[in-house]
Amino acid sequence: MPDVDVLVVGAGPAGAVAAWHAKQAAPGLDVVVLERDRAIGAPVRCAEGVGDAGLREFANPDGADWVSRRITDVIFQAPDDTEVVLANCGLGWILDRTRFDAFLAAQAAAEGATVLVGAEATAMARNGDQRWHVRVKERGRDDVYRARVVIGADGVETMVGRWAGLDTRVPARDMESCAQYVLQGIDFNPDAIYLQFSNAIAPGGYAWIFPKGVGVANVGLGVVALKSDGRNARQYLDDWVTRRFPGGTRTGYTVGGVIVHTTIKKTYADGVLVAGDAAHMINPLSGGGITNAMKAGRLAGKTAAAAICAGDTSERRLAAYHHAWMELLGDDHLKYYRIKQALEGVDDASFNKLARSVNNIAPGKRTIGRVFTHALIRHPQLIPVAARFFV
Amino acid sequence: MRRVTPDTIAMVDLAVCDRCGLCLPLCPPEAIHLELNVLTVDRAGCTGCEKCVGPCPVGALAMVAYA
Repeated sequence: MPDVDVLVVGAGPAGAVAAWHAKQAAPGLDVVVLERDRAIGAPVRCAEGVGDAGLREFANPDGADWVSRRITDVIFQAPDDTEVVLANCGLGWILDRTRFDAFLAAQAAAEGATVLVGAEATAMARNGDQRWHVRVKERGRDDVYRARVVIGADGVETMVGRWAGLDTRVPARDMESCAQYVLQGIDFNPDAIYLQFSNAIAPGGYAWIFPKGVGVANVGLGVVALKSDGRNARQYLDDWVTRRFPGGTRTGYTVGGVIVHTTIKKTYADGVLVAGDAAHMINPLSGGGITNAMKAGRLAGKTAAAAICAGDTSERRLAAYHHAWMELLGDDHLKYYRIKQALEGVDDASFNKLARSVNNIAPGKRTIGRVFTHALIRHPQLIPVAARFFV
Repeated sequence: MRRVTPDTIAMVDLAVCDRCGLCLPLCPPEAIHLELNVLTVDRAGCTGCEKCVGPCPVGALAMVAYA
């Protein structure tokens, strides 16, 4: 029965960064990271886009082998394919998640954490000894790990949270069902990400093109099933891709869920912290989760290390993690969630009109702020969107 | 509390399922499990609410007669 200080379940961005920062904060602690899959970072269930500033808090993308593409432009597409181009509006990156996740795990290992692949937590219980007893299946063998703190970084499924008695369920209206192809041999601007909003193409979500190189991109979409006409995400994607990129070659395919909710009410329990997708720490407007997960992982790792060093891993003490997260990003996500709700009322005809009128702004003067202001003047029905943002 | 037996319950087609785990947090009674790369719906736990069926990105879940 291995005895550890911190057991991290899941070696995605949240888990790897949690282990890395727990070990950095308290090098004497035993920190173990479990990855269920046989390779860290695979299978990729992600569009792989990330903003520059958030990423740089953890890793330098310049020349890194885990970067696929540098992005400078954003192109919004209306339902009728009218494009609104925001050139040089910021810097972003399309990652190679297989390599990036492995890089983060290596950072954790370099600090002295133990990383195990093909090791799946299947149950856990609190015994009278102030430890969690976590059942782990590895190479067909069952083992029980005793841990002072368990960090649940186990993604959408979020079993650790469930085992700890936290409510991690998602209302159907806040679940984006996503499907994505890697398409080769297609024509688009490789310096831009494309976002298309349309109830006919991707009801309740959006469709995206995220370049991985010249002529190669992650092409996918997310839909809210409650708004679907009966097709599932993959069928919506097939229909869109067939129309947009009839000549493209599909060299990869993935599906998955993106929780466009707000942070779960309680992200901690006695000896437990939950981080990243598992705690619904996703920007509900963009669906972006990588940087959120890393920031939450950093907080979780530091909080766990400090709690263990102080000899107090009670939920009273661990609650500090929740408050720090809400202050850092959780409260912002509540605002984004309200915007998302307001945008749900905008129909395709309004989006088309909006795109055409925004294009009257000279390209050089087209900032996100100007586009937003313009949209409000021309389309007063969007004022509730803005109003809710500032509530 | 005694559960009323539903007329239909969810069943997964493992030949279609991609093991993405999207359906797990959607299940109100937490009756869907993903362990060792196999998705299962707990017959005794499923209440037949169908909340998992539509959101499955590949259509791997369907309602079938309980009996």
